[in-house]
Amino acid sequence: MKTKLLVELKVIVLLTLLFSSSHQMFAQEMEVKGTITSEEGEPIPFVNVVVKGTSSGTSADIDGNYSITTPENSTLVFSYVGYVTQEIAVADQREINVTMTADLAVLDEVVVVGYGTQQKKDLTSAVSIVNSEEISKRQTTTVAESLQGLASGVNVRGGGQPGQEARIEIRGLKNLQGSNPLYVIDGLITTANRDFNPNDIESIQILKDAAAAAIYGSRAANGVIIITTKKGKKGPLKVAVSTKMSITEIPRYDLAGQEEFVRLNNMAYDNAGVPRQDLNLDVNTDWQNEVFRTGLIQDQNVSFSGGGDNSSYFISGNYFGNKGTVISTDFDRISFRVNSSGEKGIFSIGENLALSNAKTDEIGGSDGFRGNPFFDVVRLFPTIPVYDEDNPGGYGYGKSGVANVFAANPVAIANLIDQETENFRIRGNVWAELDPFPWLNYRFNFGYESSFDEYIYLRREGNWTLNQPFEPSFTNQNRAQSETLLFENTLTFKKEFGKHNLSLLAGTTYQKNTYEQINGLKRNLLVNPNTGDYFDVLDLGDQAQVGGFRNEALLLSYLGRLEYNYDDRYLLNAVLRRDGSSRFSDENKWSNFPSVSAGWRLSNESFFNSKTISDLKLRASYGELGSGNIGNYEYQGFINTFGAIVLGDGQTLNPSATQVRLANSELRWETLKQTNLGFDMGLLNNKLQLTGDYFIARTEDVLFGFPILLSTGNDGGNPISNAATVENTGIELNASYRQQINDDFSFNASVNFTRLRNELVSLGNGLNESIQGNTITRSGEPVGMWFVLQTDGLFQNQDEIDNYTNSEGDVIQPNAFPGDIRFKDVNDDGQITNADKTVVSSPWPDFEMGFNASAQYKNFDFSMNWIGSFGATVYNGFRSVVDRFDDDSNYRAGIQPWTPENPNTDFPRIVRGTTLNSRGDSDRWLEDGSFVRLKYVGIGYNIPQNALEGIGFTKARISLSAQNIITITGYQGLDPEFSNPNIFQRGVDFGSYPNIQNYSIGVEIGF
Amino acid sequence: MMKKIAIITILISVVFILSSCEEEELNLDNPNALTTNQFWATPNDAELGVNSIYAMFYKDGLWARWIYFRLDLVSDEGFSQSPWVELADWTRFNYINYNFWEGNSVTWRDSYKAIFRANQVLANVPGIEFQDEARKRSILAEAKFHRALNYYYIGLLWENAPLVLEPSQPDDLPQQVSKEEIFAQAESDLNDAFTDLPLQWDAQNAGRPTKGAAKAMLAKIYMQQRLWENAKTALDFLVIGEGAIYSLVENYKDNFTDINENNSESVFEIQFGDQRRGGTGEGPNAAVSSNRAQFFAPRGIGWSDGQARFWLVNAFKQEATTDGELDPRLQHSLFYPDLFEDFGDRVYGRDWEWGDQEAWFRKGARDYKRTNEDYFSEVNWRMIRYADILLRYAEVLNELGMTADAYEYVDLVRSRANMAPLAEAYPEIGTNPDAFLERLKIERVLELSGESVRWEDLKRWGDLENQQAIDQIAQRDPDFNNFEVGKNIRMPIPQVEVENNPNLEQNPQY
Repeated sequence: MKTKLLVELKVIVLLTLLFSSSHQMFAQEMEVKGTITSEEGEPIPFVNVVVKGTSSGTSADIDGNYSITTPENSTLVFSYVGYVTQEIAVADQREINVTMTADLAVLDEVVVVGYGTQQKKDLTSAVSIVNSEEISKRQTTTVAESLQGLASGVNVRGGGQPGQEARIEIRGLKNLQGSNPLYVIDGLITTANRDFNPNDIESIQILKDAAAAAIYGSRAANGVIIITTKKGKKGPLKVAVSTKMSITEIPRYDLAGQEEFVRLNNMAYDNAGVPRQDLNLDVNTDWQNEVFRTGLIQDQNVSFSGGGDNSSYFISGNYFGNKGTVISTDFDRISFRVNSSGEKGIFSIGENLALSNAKTDEIGGSDGFRGNPFFDVVRLFPTIPVYDEDNPGGYGYGKSGVANVFAANPVAIANLIDQETENFRIRGNVWAELDPFPWLNYRFNFGYESSFDEYIYLRREGNWTLNQPFEPSFTNQNRAQSETLLFENTLTFKKEFGKHNLSLLAGTTYQKNTYEQINGLKRNLLVNPNTGDYFDVLDLGDQAQVGGFRNEALLLSYLGRLEYNYDDRYLLNAVLRRDGSSRFSDENKWSNFPSVSAGWRLSNESFFNSKTISDLKLRASYGELGSGNIGNYEYQGFINTFGAIVLGDGQTLNPSATQVRLANSELRWETLKQTNLGFDMGLLNNKLQLTGDYFIARTEDVLFGFPILLSTGNDGGNPISNAATVENTGIELNASYRQQINDDFSFNASVNFTRLRNELVSLGNGLNESIQGNTITRSGEPVGMWFVLQTDGLFQNQDEIDNYTNSEGDVIQPNAFPGDIRFKDVNDDGQITNADKTVVSSPWPDFEMGFNASAQYKNFDFSMNWIGSFGATVYNGFRSVVDRFDDDSNYRAGIQPWTPENPNTDFPRIVRGTTLNSRGDSDRWLEDGSFVRLKYVGIGYNIPQNALEGIGFTKARISLSAQNIITITGYQGLDPEFSNPNIFQRGVDFGSYPNIQNYSIGVEIGF
Repeated sequence: MMKKIAIITILISVVFILSSCEEEELNLDNPNALTTNQFWATPNDAELGVNSIYAMFYKDGLWARWIYFRLDLVSDEGFSQSPWVELADWTRFNYINYNFWEGNSVTWRDSYKAIFRANQVLANVPGIEFQDEARKRSILAEAKFHRALNYYYIGLLWENAPLVLEPSQPDDLPQQVSKEEIFAQAESDLNDAFTDLPLQWDAQNAGRPTKGAAKAMLAKIYMQQRLWENAKTALDFLVIGEGAIYSLVENYKDNFTDINENNSESVFEIQFGDQRRGGTGEGPNAAVSSNRAQFFAPRGIGWSDGQARFWLVNAFKQEATTDGELDPRLQHSLFYPDLFEDFGDRVYGRDWEWGDQEAWFRKGARDYKRTNEDYFSEVNWRMIRYADILLRYAEVLNELGMTADAYEYVDLVRSRANMAPLAEAYPEIGTNPDAFLERLKIERVLELSGESVRWEDLKRWGDLENQQAIDQIAQRDPDFNNFEVGKNIRMPIPQVEVENNPNLEQNPQY
């Protein structure tokens, strides 16, 4: 393959030589050069320049430069969609710089499509473009969070934990290994995680269908988000300073106060016929007040940019701090960026470099739901004190017979455990380009990313829960480095032949990822008498434990693309990518990923004559993408050498080794096959724009570790196999309208709509279905459907119990009492068992919508963003804990349990110690998760230009905004917009960190 | 111009060549572990491999933790008042979710995990070249012993289960077989193991199974199937045959502490240690300890998820020693309200602060040297001790009509506890085999309570097979009111196994 590619390259180079010599022959006439700029002085790329009355012409390059040979005394026509066409007589001018006036029509956007750019009008595939201004308005930690509701087909679920990464899913769940898309930041393939400063973003494009993403081949099955960071523009130094401060609040549970708690708890004990516990009535703790607090986010940003004729620079610095709404949670980030570029003749070079240091402080470790503050605040009784000197460490928690609960005291955890993660990241690339001819570009891109990670965990002596085993103090620390090396070479050929417009791209890429970690642990730490706290270095302490490992992965790719445009009417785009990954066995390392897409711009046809429809394009595409998103060495079985055994009279340790986890040696690439049909339409002079897409995305050979039989004795994770086939079909619609009413007032509004249907076509491994928790995944149905017992009201009296029989007359729930839940005996066997579980509903929304509106009046602007999700059924984990009563916890305020005196309720009899009514696997805990939320609302005021001139500012702006302040939902949990990382249980809200409410004030100044 | 182009051409080519990548680089080896193909090459690999089967004793599904819930708490000796209701439900025949990990699936999985390890040794070690052929044979024998031991408990708990004899593959769908076939396989493995195991190991290797241990396991299997002749033959080896190297230790308590481990009474003993403080999983520093004491210690000291039924206390107080004292085994078997009054002994240094009808298991507790527990108990678990063998021998003789001969073995056990000979204390028994068995049932409780043999005893004696017997047990342990004859004598198979293996059916009535 390598040699073949080299041969191809030689041919290309040869052709280059031929073309250039023929070029020389026509160079008799005069050459005209120039730069095309907008009214704002920014270069406009790709403007068509044609000699009037001939078919000869060219187009400007990406920096707006053009050169054309033309007979003397001719006239040049400069045209570009979105701008008013201009004609300029050449006369004897050798340099003609043109300023184009914007046409209000807005199809001018240049879209970065991966290894190149396209004009939006030429797109044949599904690409969403997100305006960076929309992003910078919001107060978010990560890019993903800020995309919420701004593009159709893009589902984002954030979380309120400081530093938490949002989950983003483009066009549904296409595989089972993780839905995060590929991020490309300035050509560097990476992740836009919390280390990245969203203020640096110039533009974002989201490649949604296979044809758009195909150039990224195996990386792109989940879609691609391309981020371009800001560049300097020609002119003197510009300084922009912005500061944003936000106050944040966490939503709270409506829990019973001490009195109500005591009454209900006693009732549950009395109903069970067991002696009441000896609740400590002297204590009245509001655990939410102890654990939740008002948070503060600040985002301080400054940037410097500018440039000359041949160079540009952009420098920015940012501090982002988030004091969390839960005690002992914080996130701090400092980041710094330098982007610069320069050119001389045919050679240009540039770099993008970002440095960041991010530090996260998290509360406790996650061990089931011990140490999850959202569960602990509802499980801890109001009668438990925060502090209790009798307990080791001095904190209050459950006590046998007094407070029978195993909830952990979050205040104790916050003080007894320190958990900090810090990483320093370098991310950047250097590129060089040669443009030997206007139609040929060679680009070399070297990308490098490295993160130095530090993790410190310190456990002080002391307890946070009832009956906790003694644990000595210890510290567990690790240091790690991850590194990504990327080499890319691409050659682009782009030329117009009359009405034929052709662009060809060929390239290679090489990407190597490594991750190395060393870790150490010491117990029984020494106390520093000066501070009273432990020494947290690994020198001190005993029972040392060390470890370390290294992971490596390599991906090689060859890529090629053809773009063809005839007369702006017929568009064709074809891509082939070949990927080789170290993660598969020799036979399965390589795979090809082709795609083709076509567009027809009807509105440019001569027969098309509509006054309303100003622009109409039809698109169709088909593409195949791969995914090798699995661990690095999954296809091999390994020997675990960690074990040891005790033997002999000395009871000494002897080493042991064996295979623990099974492996599938036949693993191969997962393949996504996606078909997309779409249209783009502009109406009323493009004031109203409509975009619609229909797609079928079928993923075959889905890589996933479905549970295998326990009788294989497998442990350490299910072996990955090419297990399932998943299909997503969907419709996306986007409508936007903008209007300038007069000089003072303009507005625009847009609506996006996404409807998605997910279906598991088949489950591999000989499995018929996979049950995980309360969900079932089986062929022909969406992934993770709710599979539970059905409740059917309450028994009101003994007669109802006795008469509740199956077809043979067996009493189905003979042990029930009046007030207990009646379950449906689905299989009619006369008892309630697992066999009565059925699929009752879906965790997937029927559709999701986003609504954005903004308006400007004089110097004021207003904007808001709503998101809505409709029809999903979710599992309310909070209610499944506080409404159960078999195990003690605090309760919801105002519940009305069934009693003989109070039979008109849907809340069953409360009984301590029996699981009859509290079974977690019934539809009692399922709720409609539909919601509509005002995600963002803000107003801004720009201080008038004339007022600023006196003080030398070019811009000054004040804004006020709020996030997540209105939510309309019937859901009884903390936040209907939660996220669960488990793909099969995504509808389970079990102690998820809720989205926080956010009130911000921001000031921006430019000079 | 041409010169410029030439330069560019060269430049481009050079960059491409420099960065063009070697496809061979795609063959990355895992720098972190040996592959299965690299292993199983040397005698040392075989040693490490066979050791890994012993490491299964330290897993939470087996002898680190949960199997005690299946054997001690499900039986009428123990019960659970855990506030974790599902955990407690699984000690009182309230089986609702058959996939409940701690109550069912983990013990099933870990049993097969141990079998997978044994199968790896049995499949791979024969191909390894050894200098010392005898060691090779004994390694294989150890693997067979462990495979049989795990199948014994599978047969005891679930009865109808898959028989896996080759190293597992991810897509295996093994065939379920009956309890008889499970036991037949275990029998065959133990007979093979007996041949190649030594009578005793050197001091460094104490803890590996011996010929005596193989025969003891064989006897257990035969007795569970009421094959008394076979059982007698197996036990003969330990009691009167060439393997009769065992004797009772003088101090009963020495069977339950870390002070006199691998002593003369120990036939097979799980070796626990506290050197490693990891979890029960497979990570670096995986623990080698028992969690039993942490889970069974009284409220406020341990998790208190399991405790003893109070009838045990009364059982000890039925008969005094020859000196008119309380049975000394009571002191070392249970924590109970009168412990201080009776023996001047405390509970982890505390006065009695629990219910006056409550008792806690004491065997394996470390109260003799500390005031709390943790997950890292180093006290070895005497899985089979000679006192058990002697009482079994008596039982087998009685079943074979040699009741008179059986007395001497019961008396050996009784006399250590300073109890009068059986014939003296209970002259009415005589040679009535039924009366003898009834007495033996009590003798076994007094000697072996809290040692995880009660469930197999009840099963073997047929006490779980009719409602009348169940009603009697339910008087001692009300949990047996939930017991359904014909159903609860065996556990439900984890539901996921039933759903995903077409060659397997759920146990009857589940």
